[in-house]
Amino acid sequence: MTTIELALRVFIVDDETPARNRLRELLGDCNEQLPLVVVGEAANGREALDKLAETTADVVLLDIRMPQMDGIELAQHLSKLPSPPVFVFTTAYDAYAIKAFELHAIDYLLKPIRLGRLFDALTRARSAVPVQTEVLRDLLPEARKHLSIHERGKIHLITIEEVLFMRAELKYITVRTAEREYLIEESLTALEKEFATRFIRVHRNCLVAKDAIVGFERGGEEGESGWQVKLKGLNERMAISRRQQYIVKEFS
Amino acid sequence: MNEARSIKQNPLSDALPNFRNLGVTLRILLLSNAMALLVAVVKAHGWQDFLLQMTQIVALLTPIMLSGLLLLGLVQPWLYRLGYWRGALAVNVAVSLLALFIYYLGGELYQPDLDGAAYFDALRCVLLSVAMCGLLLMYFRLRARGLSLALEDAHLQVLRARIRPHFLFNTINAVLGIVRAEPKRAETALEDMADLFRMAMAEAQDLVLVQQEIQLSKQYIALEQLRMGDRLSVDWQVLDMPDDALIPVLLLQPLLENAVYHGIESLIEGGCIHVLLRRNGGTLQIRVENPRPAASAEPHAGNKIALKNIRERLSLLFDAEASYQVITGKDYYRVEITLPYVKEKRHDHNRTGFARLHR
Repeated sequence: MTTIELALRVFIVDDETPARNRLRELLGDCNEQLPLVVVGEAANGREALDKLAETTADVVLLDIRMPQMDGIELAQHLSKLPSPPVFVFTTAYDAYAIKAFELHAIDYLLKPIRLGRLFDALTRARSAVPVQTEVLRDLLPEARKHLSIHERGKIHLITIEEVLFMRAELKYITVRTAEREYLIEESLTALEKEFATRFIRVHRNCLVAKDAIVGFERGGEEGESGWQVKLKGLNERMAISRRQQYIVKEFS
Repeated sequence: MNEARSIKQNPLSDALPNFRNLGVTLRILLLSNAMALLVAVVKAHGWQDFLLQMTQIVALLTPIMLSGLLLLGLVQPWLYRLGYWRGALAVNVAVSLLALFIYYLGGELYQPDLDGAAYFDALRCVLLSVAMCGLLLMYFRLRARGLSLALEDAHLQVLRARIRPHFLFNTINAVLGIVRAEPKRAETALEDMADLFRMAMAEAQDLVLVQQEIQLSKQYIALEQLRMGDRLSVDWQVLDMPDDALIPVLLLQPLLENAVYHGIESLIEGGCIHVLLRRNGGTLQIRVENPRPAASAEPHAGNKIALKNIRERLSLLFDAEASYQVITGKDYYRVEITLPYVKEKRHDHNRTGFARLHR
């Protein structure tokens, strides 16, 4: 075995250039005692997902506060990778997250980052177990801004605003945007709870984006007695169950 | 022991009101007429009588108030030189004399019967003048107290915002990130940081030169640019701004900080803050506009506190002569402030004098 194979593969995610510089320098300092290699860096969540689809990393150093997608949401999407990395979060100050990390024994580094702490975290990372997605979800105080779809070894991101409806079908949930359909493996009940402000349940198996509703029509499986909802840009009509028919009144 | 003294004695609270200010004038007229109304209510026997009483009082009060304000406005610089207490005494004496003068000049109009009560009438005239002056001066003194509190509050807030863990630790981390590669830049960054903290911790003063505030804001932006790089840019437009113009201290910088923290930082591509400072005749116009994420919710509570303090200080300092407006667009946020053009007094040897606006 060569040393390269043994080297710990580290990936850096931070929106601030000097903060990434600092980490690279410190990682360079660690390298003397701990063989490691920086396999890449990214300035935001999307970039990180794209790059990590191509390169494998053992450890991802992850800033919490970043524009558009914070580090914790990114970690949730990254944990869908075939071999998910170990996350070490970095933050200047985030009382809520720190408390949660302590609670779940997830490693984090406080900025300004010290060489010693970084070294310890990396040493531990070798033997660490990847964090469960469910735990990460608990850490996030608010709803995700994206859904991630694992498709042919790549992770796609859909911003939640694009989603018109989500429908449970056997094992999967169909997520429909104006362009196409995606399949995700999550529970509709959990999704309903997480995105309660955006979506409304029209049927036992279906959540619809409130913004996308353009009208209601009579018809469908139950004939003239039932209601259907029309969504912006879709020909398909979604049936409203008897129990949820109060929605029609509320919206019109 | 300059510092110890400056903590104990509040240099801002004791100042005579600015009789040349429109808001002060309006307040004086409004309050004096309200007192007249009360007197009329007390004396009246019925609706008809009430109107008669009110007319009589106002007929005497209005010429006294108007000429009094005119006089005080004229001798204002001289009054300020007397200091607060002697100035207040001078105001009382001036107004009493004026009241007596008008009272006797009015002759028949104000004194229906010229018998033995003349001496009492004169005394009453002085007494009422002094009472009204005293009440009004007390009112303005309390208002000024409010201002100095608001100002201290602003300093505390800016200090707290400076020490906001995100800013402090991220900036230190950023400086550490460039210290090996660009030591010179790291030095400048630390110097800027020191200046920012010094300003925030400085002894409370009302007004600073506009250029000073711009300088401070630029140092702040330089620190944020160190972290955010190209994502943050600022378009400065300073048009026709006289060198001697004064603005409230820490007015512009917190506005920029809001623009960065709530606008630029949450945009992946970043954006440009547009700052406009312009003199428009007798007023100064300040406008700060920043892009913000279209879908984002209402600004944070912290934001509101900073803005509330700015509004409070503007109204205490300039009263009706300053205006403040916030426009929240779909993807932008704009704050517009208009305030009177106040000049720095040159050759003023009083240390706090130049940075102080007389209220």
